[in-house]
Amino acid sequence: MRQLIIQSAVSGLLVGGIYGIVALGLALSFGVLKVLNVAHGELVMLGGYAAFFLFTNMGLDPLLTIPLVFICVFALGTVLYSLLFKFVVRFDIETRIKNSLLISFGLVLILQAIAVFLFSGDDRTIVTEYSSKALVVTGWVRIPWARSAGLVVAVIAAFLLEWLLNRTTFGHAVRGTSEDWALASLTGINVRRVYMIAFAISAGLAGVAGSLVSLGYSVSPSIGLGWTLKALIVIVLAGLGSMRGIVLAGALLGLVEGLASVWLGSAYRGVVALVVFLVVLSFRPQGLFGRGGNHV
Amino acid sequence: MLKVENLGAGYGDLQVVWDVSFEVPAGALVAIIGSNGAGKTTTLRALMNLVPAMAGTIEFKGESIVGVPTHQIVERGLIMIPESRATFASLSVADNLALGAYTKRARRDRQTTLTDVYEIFPRLAERKSQLAGTLSGGERQMLAIGKALMARPEMLVLDEPSLGLAPIIVENTFDEIRAIRDRGVSVLMVEQHVEATLELVDYAYVLELGHVVIEGPSSDLMTDPRVREAYLSLQ
Repeated sequence: MRQLIIQSAVSGLLVGGIYGIVALGLALSFGVLKVLNVAHGELVMLGGYAAFFLFTNMGLDPLLTIPLVFICVFALGTVLYSLLFKFVVRFDIETRIKNSLLISFGLVLILQAIAVFLFSGDDRTIVTEYSSKALVVTGWVRIPWARSAGLVVAVIAAFLLEWLLNRTTFGHAVRGTSEDWALASLTGINVRRVYMIAFAISAGLAGVAGSLVSLGYSVSPSIGLGWTLKALIVIVLAGLGSMRGIVLAGALLGLVEGLASVWLGSAYRGVVALVVFLVVLSFRPQGLFGRGGNHV
Repeated sequence: MLKVENLGAGYGDLQVVWDVSFEVPAGALVAIIGSNGAGKTTTLRALMNLVPAMAGTIEFKGESIVGVPTHQIVERGLIMIPESRATFASLSVADNLALGAYTKRARRDRQTTLTDVYEIFPRLAERKSQLAGTLSGGERQMLAIGKALMARPEMLVLDEPSLGLAPIIVENTFDEIRAIRDRGVSVLMVEQHVEATLELVDYAYVLELGHVVIEGPSSDLMTDPRVREAYLSLQ
């Protein structure tokens, strides 16, 4: 029993790392543009396919192609922004959420249909020679290498993002825009450009998460919405304002789900996650690590 | 420096500024005064293209800036300090000042301007690493002005700089505005504190219900019976 609990906790933590990366991207687009892109999970899915085909067709290792996948989905992000979200950010902040929900739900359907058409509905997993290898601790706890990458990359992504936002002039411009776009434009910041880049980085992070999903788990055209929902839970748990808080909350959610599936059965893991979510929401509505505002 | 003719502006279908014309010569200190809802803030927002100008022309340094994106107007040297919330609460004092010099033209001189600003407001140097949101009202006003100076303005526009400040701090702020003008920056300010403003500025426009109703050198306005009755509450 103890072995099972520890093993489930470890597996939960590792998947929690990916929750963290997906949530980082979603928090960035939500915090800066004030749009809620529910098609964020579809970008995870597309990133997953990108890594899968780079591996199966060209033999490129999914961990090494992470920067390449980031760039591809980043580019897709600039296209989606220019075609769709550019028109949403013209409205006042209150209207943006509603309109972005409508648009991105439509995008969910379109991207899923395209994925089924191009890639079929089959589950795809990247099988490398290290896929079945694991670090075995104290004789019985297995930490699979391929899945550990998720947590490691999440932590790296959070630190890079915090560095960008806190230490660079462009990052300060992003935070300024997030806090008050009118004041940002009066400061000489090209708010539209900040929006596009922030959205593209958000998309790129979803792509990175996708690489890790297809390496450690599997991708199919319909996985998107599940990841979006997990990311939303993580963001509410963590609160906006701290990137490492988001990764920590992601890991925490994974851990709770892992433990719940041992004690209550895996059917209840989603329920327990939502209960934790409600409890945190009732006692700390600003989130566990949030600063209380709705900006990054 | 700035020439506005027959400006109309508003929000959606609601027009609140009608046919407003005014001028700020180079090096001048000019005010637009009027009560709440007269359209003062909307006029300034239209100037910076935060709301679209529905009619009229706006010329800055002889070139039209109608339809020019806000950040490019800032790049041209026209800087506005909005009323209240003129600093980024979640950024430190130093980061706010650094962002103030975000434009290409200001970025080159960022370090020297920063030294100047810290000299003018030593308090800001003391609070360098403090978040702007935790400053007092007076300190935040200093930061707002310091941030605007970082942008190296050729012309500075202030929207109700006295709003929500204690009288002594309003006095300091007005002194600072005078000092900025003395450094060669043209200044346009919008105010409800009519008496103190008329003592400060060279020329003023009185705005009522979106129209300019009176204009003239401030010394003339101070003795104008209509201004005295409506704004100075003197017999």
